This record gives sequence, structure tokens and C-alpha cells, in this order.
Amino acid sequence: MSSAAPTRPPVIELRRVSKHYRLGEADVPALQGIDLSLEAGGFVAIKGPSGSGKSTLLNICGLLDGIDAGSLHLDGEDVADVDEIARSLIRRQRIGFVFQSYNLVPVMSVGENVEYPLLLAETPAAERRARVAETLAQVGLADLAERRPDQLSGGQRQRVAIARALVKSPRLVIADEPTANLDTATATQVVDLMRQLGASHGASFLIATHDERMASHCDRVLTLIDGVMQ
Amino acid sequence: MNLLRLAWRNIQRNRRRSRVTVLIASVGAASILISSGFALYTYNALRDAAARESGHLTAAHREYFQRDEETPLQWGLDDHAALAARLKQDPQVTRVLPRLAFSGLVSNGEKSMIFMGHGVDIGGETAARGQFLKLLEGSLPADTASSAVDSPQVLLGKDLARSLGAKPGSGLTLLGTTTAGSLNAIDVQVAGLVSTGVPDVDKRLVFSDLAAAQRLLATDKVSTLAVFLNDSDLTAPLLETLRRDDPAHAWQPWWDQAFYYTAVRGLYNRIFGLLGIIIGALVFFSVTNTLAMAVVERTREIGTLRALGALPKEIVAQFVAEGALIGGLGAAIGMAVAAAASATLQIAGLQMPPPPGRSDGYPLLVNISPTLYVFTVVAIGLLCATAAWIVSRKAAAKPIVEALGHV
Repeated sequence: MSSAAPTRPPVIELRRVSKHYRLGEADVPALQGIDLSLEAGGFVAIKGPSGSGKSTLLNICGLLDGIDAGSLHLDGEDVADVDEIARSLIRRQRIGFVFQSYNLVPVMSVGENVEYPLLLAETPAAERRARVAETLAQVGLADLAERRPDQLSGGQRQRVAIARALVKSPRLVIADEPTANLDTATATQVVDLMRQLGASHGASFLIATHDERMASHCDRVLTLIDGVMQ
Repeated sequence: MNLLRLAWRNIQRNRRRSRVTVLIASVGAASILISSGFALYTYNALRDAAARESGHLTAAHREYFQRDEETPLQWGLDDHAALAARLKQDPQVTRVLPRLAFSGLVSNGEKSMIFMGHGVDIGGETAARGQFLKLLEGSLPADTASSAVDSPQVLLGKDLARSLGAKPGSGLTLLGTTTAGSLNAIDVQVAGLVSTGVPDVDKRLVFSDLAAAQRLLATDKVSTLAVFLNDSDLTAPLLETLRRDDPAHAWQPWWDQAFYYTAVRGLYNRIFGLLGIIIGALVFFSVTNTLAMAVVERTREIGTLRALGALPKEIVAQFVAEGALIGGLGAAIGMAVAAAASATLQIAGLQMPPPPGRSDGYPLLVNISPTLYVFTVVAIGLLCATAAWIVSRKAAAKPIVEALGHV
């Protein structure tokens, strides 16, 4: 009988993943033979020039897009071939997103934007209210819950987006250029916040970035060039 | 944050566009309600008029409605008094009135004209039908049996009176064929001039009391019995009972004789049905256009919600709620406008011009029917929701990456 604790599978694991796009008659490779493993609690950046395949890789990891070849596992579960409905249900439970342009819903208040993932997950109302309040307090926006997104600064909006991504305590947060639209001071605050809240919520981060400031805060930085991991 | 509250906020994103769409839906709803309300009023008025004219049910000889008569009253009722007494025992029956249809020549001594005569119980008819004839001059005829005047009195259609140069007090001779086939004549006095509103009828019309008509035809028979009920809705069940229990007589409901009512209803159903389809199409395309623009503008947002885990059907439900809300708002405003128009017309007392073949107009009124209002609200709401469903389902099924990249 072994005394070693069972090893937990990586949050996301890609093996020899390839992805192609059709561009007219041409078949354009976006990713070629990608291997990637992200452990629980990891904070990993992927950098590379424009068109290198960063966003495609993030879309695949976030189950927003499918793969052409290879394997894709989320928490040890093979999710490469699940249908669109199943992907949606996995995303609403286990994956959070932070977008470059915040992508908040303009007709919802700050609190409602943060609450939305919990509504999708059919979280009971009392628990929803408590978790929204707690998460907004964690991002320092407890007083702005009733505001609309257009009444906030860029940094505040990105903090709302981070709260929305983390409120359901996902296993994985996909962040695509989260600091690209922010000034240096705000970008640093946002990165620190993601790092801090990721740890407290038990979420792993996979971040696509051009931003060296961002990369310097990550556990690991992977470089992608022309769809190939360097 | 429920679906409708979110739908309301989304509608307010582009207020001008939403207002125009709601306005179109409300104009559509009001148009449907006003035109249908007018048609309903017309149907009800014509139905009541038809039932008043013929009676809710007509009792006749078994052959009366099937075969032409070769001699006057060949298919007349000779047991009408007993039949009337039996019918009157039914508490649903308010009146049973004998009617005798006859024809012949009417002469002023110099000129003779063909007439179509109606021998009726004038007092009973007036009691059952109200003022069923428009009395232009003179008065209603006195009852022949109790009359102190020498000659029976008649009412003449105004155009027949003009042809004969007759006026109240004039003496005329009615010439007809008896039930035995011989000629007979009686002198009558004109009591009054009337109009039915139909010029072709007014050229031939003679109304007399029943006794005078029977005297001309030398008979005790009548053509038919008009049976009046205390509720029009009882016509069908009573008809069924009478046909089953008394097959020796023929029984005909008012609607089998209401040719004008049937023709008008058929015409209006086509006209207003087509109008409804056109209005529905306008509302549908307007809402489709508005929501299609909203869907395009919100493609990126749809992508975001899908990324967060919303299912396509949940996205579609959001747009359907917006469509239904636009339709519901429009229908509510349309209902208020239609109700106000109905109330205004009640007060205004406007008249429609006479229909073809008639000389009198009729009131321009619009019925307020709860059933019609509910149906219209539901129909407009469904129409708008369907438009929203059509325009949003494609966007909701769009690849998420593509939707997120929409500019």
C-alpha cells in the first residue's frame, strides 16, 4: 500500500493540439502540436507577437473553440469532443473570463454583472447576494454595486470583470490581454488583484499578453510564435 | 434581475427606435380593434335586425320551404291557432305572430300596380319588433275586427304610394286570387306611408292587418308563424327540440333567412381579415427590423454571455422577452386608443352612408369586445415574440469566437 497522496490532474492539459483555419482556399495553421499543462493555482502568461496564436490557444483552453487534433483535458476530463451545450455548462461552472475590453453588459449594474454567472449556475438568491457582495468588496468596488459600467473608469471596469470571472470560484480563468487598455499603475493593480484573488478563490490563470509588466508577475511565461510553443 | 426587467432596459437602449416600433405595434393593434369592433357591431346589429324581422324561428307547413305554391297558401298553416297556443306554453317563447304573404294588384281606379303584401298582427309586430317600419306619414292601421272604419286600412311603401298618387286617407282597391283560385277584390284605405330603407321593396310594399289579408284570399290560413324568444342564444337548442318533437311542421331559424346578414358577414370577414393580415405583416416586419438591428449591435455582448455559459436558448429567450414586451406595450396603447375611439363614436353619433340597395344609413359604432381585446393583445405579443425568435436564434447560434470578435 502506497503512502503517497494521489496526484491531482492538471487544471487544463493539452497534448499535441493543432488548430487550422480556412482562409478562402488556403488552410492556415493557427496552432501546431501544442503541449501545455496548467497546475491548480498556476498563474501562467502566454506571450507572443500578434497572430502568433495566443488568442486561439486561450479560446481552446476556455472551451470557446474546438481543436482539430490532439487531446484536451479539463481537471482530467476529456473535453475535446464534447458538444456545444456541454461546453456551455462546463464554462458556466468551471471557467471564468476576463476580456481586454472588459465586455460588461451595459444595461446591468456592476452588481448584476457580477451576479450573472451565479444566475446561470442557478445559485440560490441569498448565496448569490452574499457572494456578489464579498467579491465586490475583494475588488474594492463594494460601494459601486448599483452603478452602470459606463459610469466607471477603465480600471474599475476591469476589476468588475475580474469579480465576474471569480465570483463562482472557477477552476480556471482565461484572461486575454487584461491590461492592454490600462495605464501602468492601473495595470499593476489589476495584475496584483488577479493574482491575489486567484489564490483566495483557488483559480488558475491563463493569461495572454504582450505586456512585459504582466509577464513579470506570472509564475511561468510561455512564448508562442507562429502557432508553435517555444 | 428577471428577464422582463432586463428586456425593459434593453428596449430603452435605443429609445427612439423602440418608441417608433411600439408606436407601429399600437397603431396596428388599434386598427385591428377598431375595424374588428366595427365589424362586430355591424354583425350584431344585422343579426338582431334579422332575428327581429323574421322572428328567431319560423314555423310553416312541412312543404313551405321546399316547394313553390301553385295556388295561394297551398302550403299555408291551417292549424296555426293550435300551434301558436302550444308554442306559447314554452317559457322561452315571448311571442308567436301569424304572417300571411300575398300578392296581387293595387289600383286607384285609374292605375294599377303589382304589390307584395304582408298580412300581420300589426300591434303584435310592433310590440315584438319595436318600430319595424319607418312611418313617414299618417298612422298605423286600425285593427279590421274592431275598426269603426268601413274599409280595412293598409300601409303603403312610399314609392308605391308615389306611383299611385296615394296619401293617408286615400281609397284603393286590392285585387288578388283566393285560395280557391278565383279573383277577389277588397277596398282599403291608406292609413300611412312607410319605408323599409330598400327602394325596391318600397315600390311594391303593402302592409295590412291579418284579417284583411285573409278576407282578400278568402281563407283562415296563414303562411307562417314567427316565433320570438327571450334570448337569441336559445334559438339553436329550441330549433333542435322542435324539429325532433314536431316533424309535421317545418322549422327554420332566423339565420337561414338572413341573406343580407350572411352576405355582409362574408364580405366583412374577407375585408377585415385581409386588413388584419396586412397590419400583422407591418407590425411583424417593423419588430423584425428593430430587433435585427439590436441583435447586430449586441453581437459581441451575445458572445460574452455565451462565453460565460449562457445557452443559445437563454439568449433567444432574452430577445423574445424584448419582442413580447414591445408587442405588449404596443397592444396596450392600441387598446386604450381603440376604447377611446369607441367611446367617442358613441357620443359623436356619426352615421355611415347607406349600403348598396338601401336608402338609410346606419350608426357608425365600434363594439368593445373583451374576447377581441384579449385575442389582439395575445396575437400582437406572439407576433412580436416570433419576430424576435427568428432574428435572434441565428445570432445566438453563431460561433462564440466570431461573436466576440464582432466590431
